[in-house]
Amino acid sequence: MMKNKYMFGGFIIVVFLGIMIYLFTQTNVTYEENFSAIKTSSKTIKATGAWVKAKNYEIDREKNIFSFYMTDSHGTELKVIYKGAIPNNFESATSVVVTGKYNSQNGYFQASDILTKCPSKYEEQFDENQSS
Amino acid sequence: MIGNILLTLGMLAGAFTVLMYFMTYKGYENTLKFARIGYHTMAIMVIASSALLLHAILTHQYQYKYIYNYSGSDLPTGLLMSTFYAGQEGSFMLWLFFTAIVGLILLEYTSKRGDLEQRVMMIFSLAATFLLIMVSPMLKNPFAYIWADPTFIEIKSIKQSLLSAPFLQNFLFEDAGGGKTFVKMNSELFGILKSQGIAVNDFIVQGKGLNPLLQNFWMQIHPPILFVGFSMSTVPFAFAFAALLKNEYNNWIKQALPWVLSGTMVLGLAIMLGGYWAYGVLGWGGYWGWDPVENSSLVPWIIGVASIHTMLVQRKTQAKDGIGRFGKTNLILCIMTYLLVLYSTFLTRSGILGDASVHSFVDPGMTVYLLLISLVGIFTILGFGAIAYRWKYLNEHFNFEDNLLSRELALFTGSVALIAAAIIVLVGTSAPIFGQSVEVRFYNELNLPIGIIIGFLNGFSLLLKWKHTNKKDFLKQARFSMISAFVLTILIAVFGGVTDIMLIIFTLSASFTLFVNLEIAYKIFMGRKSFLGAYVAHIGIALFMLGVIASGSFSETKQIQLTKGEKVNVLGYDLTFTGFNLIENGQKYAFNIEVADGSDKSVVAPVMYIAEFNNSLMREPDILNLITKDFYVAPVSYEDGSGHNSNAGTNVTLSRGESYEFNGAKIIFDKFNFPPDAMSSMMSGGDFRIGAEITLEYKGKYVQLEPAMKNSGGQRSFEAVEFKDANLKIEMSNLDASGKVSLVLSNLDGVQNGQLSSPKEILSIDASVKPFINLVWAGVLVMVAGFIISAFRRSKESLVIDN
Repeated sequence: MMKNKYMFGGFIIVVFLGIMIYLFTQTNVTYEENFSAIKTSSKTIKATGAWVKAKNYEIDREKNIFSFYMTDSHGTELKVIYKGAIPNNFESATSVVVTGKYNSQNGYFQASDILTKCPSKYEEQFDENQSS
Repeated sequence: MIGNILLTLGMLAGAFTVLMYFMTYKGYENTLKFARIGYHTMAIMVIASSALLLHAILTHQYQYKYIYNYSGSDLPTGLLMSTFYAGQEGSFMLWLFFTAIVGLILLEYTSKRGDLEQRVMMIFSLAATFLLIMVSPMLKNPFAYIWADPTFIEIKSIKQSLLSAPFLQNFLFEDAGGGKTFVKMNSELFGILKSQGIAVNDFIVQGKGLNPLLQNFWMQIHPPILFVGFSMSTVPFAFAFAALLKNEYNNWIKQALPWVLSGTMVLGLAIMLGGYWAYGVLGWGGYWGWDPVENSSLVPWIIGVASIHTMLVQRKTQAKDGIGRFGKTNLILCIMTYLLVLYSTFLTRSGILGDASVHSFVDPGMTVYLLLISLVGIFTILGFGAIAYRWKYLNEHFNFEDNLLSRELALFTGSVALIAAAIIVLVGTSAPIFGQSVEVRFYNELNLPIGIIIGFLNGFSLLLKWKHTNKKDFLKQARFSMISAFVLTILIAVFGGVTDIMLIIFTLSASFTLFVNLEIAYKIFMGRKSFLGAYVAHIGIALFMLGVIASGSFSETKQIQLTKGEKVNVLGYDLTFTGFNLIENGQKYAFNIEVADGSDKSVVAPVMYIAEFNNSLMREPDILNLITKDFYVAPVSYEDGSGHNSNAGTNVTLSRGESYEFNGAKIIFDKFNFPPDAMSSMMSGGDFRIGAEITLEYKGKYVQLEPAMKNSGGQRSFEAVEFKDANLKIEMSNLDASGKVSLVLSNLDGVQNGQLSSPKEILSIDASVKPFINLVWAGVLVMVAGFIISAFRRSKESLVIDN
């Protein structure tokens, strides 16, 4: 007869690992740096890129919407719409990670979360050719 | 220089200590004395170098790169001291410092317990030595000089009187984007400064400062407590390893228990303080966001809690069986606790979570990365290698059958449930390594059923007797708690309006635990109070669970705009924005909101300010604490309505290159005219003029215009420009450091066009009500109290020599 200990412990572990693997596939979000791929996907995605400063951002206080443009390394731009306030540090962010889905009907990325990565204050990398 | 000598000596002393303890373990006779000297030398070196770093911070010695990067001259003493651990290097130092101190106590403790010292201290010294390698001059060294690698320093950090010095001109660089000027600090400049007789910390007079997010009370206590917890997590590993070395598994349990209890207590307290920091100051809204960095300290804590329970079983069953139950489980869990702390360090410091977490560190470079990996790797090999080596023996000696209705089995199952929770959090947290990530509901949905299981098991296990329980007795005992729990759950469900079946079951499970423990605690309180610990801790966790249920499922949040002087009803409260006032020497704005609930009136004052540190808007929430709930106000934005007053016009904000159409003219903002001398005089409060170069396109013609902001004699004024063809007047109303200009566009003839907003002051806030959130904090504090009582009891027992 199998030991009670292994029956109970094993049961819990097996059940939860099972549920975990299922939920993982349901809730997992992949990082995507290529915006062309985002525009053809209907899944929730974490898009990483940079804010297009030249296009500024817009804040609609009435509707409480914050929107801006992001670009990937290929130069593909993506309009991002976020319901909520502009995040702290947004203006000084070197890269932005937005979580959400692409709305292909209206052609924008509906973000549920914005994470800003600030210039690493530890190692500032200035190229000398960048300076005048 | 001295700092590095001390650290290097410390590292050598550490390695020497490991060797001496190893030789003592191998049976050499005179080496124990050397090992002790070695350890004390190492500890003294660590303490001295920490003191040196702290002294350098307090005296603003910016010749150290670390201090320049993280500290600043205008911080109050408490925060200044906390810059000690604001960066990677210093936080390793802090961890090392506490490890050295914990080791001194551990040495004292183990030296009184037979041959325990060499086995335990050998591995503990090894762990300390690894941390010393981490802060050694080649790696994350806090004593590195600023000129060792060329560093670009903003001129505001440089002593103003030296800026015009001729020798400096070759080292000035202008950043093409932000219009800032930097001094390139390298060994060449250091050589020049030296020849001029200028000390570096007379040249660099200001540091980059501490991130404003960290500038609060919690920064001063959360990280140190967390690192005490991390340091103490090494101890159970060392004990388990020592037991495996000797192949003797009886005594280590009672010897390690007080350490495991107090270590888990400290780590739990630190985690809660971090949660309170996020909730009360950072304005993240909740106390737990399943952020990878938060998670990575939670996982070892959960395993620590699991190990306490199975260790207690072994301790209890030793009386009869000699060796006790769950020997293998205990060894594995004690080893895992430390390995998970190391893994958590690896995750948060290797830069691997870069995109996934708000507060992970940046990529530290390949060497550090490899050292972090080898740290995790070596201790994993040591721990599991030792278990594998003894596996055959362990399997023969720890082989028991547990009765279905026994406390042993219930405790074991509870630990397995905890382990399952830890695995879930660990998998979710590690997902970014594989370019994946999970949504928050992954954690919530999985941990809810585990919480339910743990709640019920906790209650039942305490009603069950060791070894075997009579079914009738069991049911009789459970009656009071079962009935009370049902009543409480029905009350909560009916009055709170809970409809989610899982939450109702969770409420039942948490209330059941609560009543079982209250009943037992009451009985014990009449008798032996030192036995109260476990029940107090369980009451704490039950209260915590109820707090999580209440605050998690009944929180309501609303974003609302408050116009000054107008009363708005939000979530049952009447809010009136009464204006702002300046706080902290005029650096921050506190927005006063009158909150009225019937006749009770109070004021909350959330804070917003632009931090010079990163030119960003910072927001701090304010909380109205009402015992049964928190009314939580997080500021979102503020419009002061000014700019409209002077000349009714249209306000636009433009970045460089952006344009705006007005009266048929296209207004393009090119750039700021910001002469270098304007910057220094702006800093010193003198007179300056900053212009905004604008290209105006009207009917195919281009015109260059330059509205400007002037400061003379402390008075700020704006120069407007006019363009008659388009009946247009442009006035600058503000500029911000990110390179945007605010302009007021109006008709020259004074005729207003379009609809104008009246000058209103509008404050936008996120208001939320969080019921019973105090139960979350109270629960953790009660739990910590329980841990402390238990730790005292078990440390007394650890001295008793039995069998």
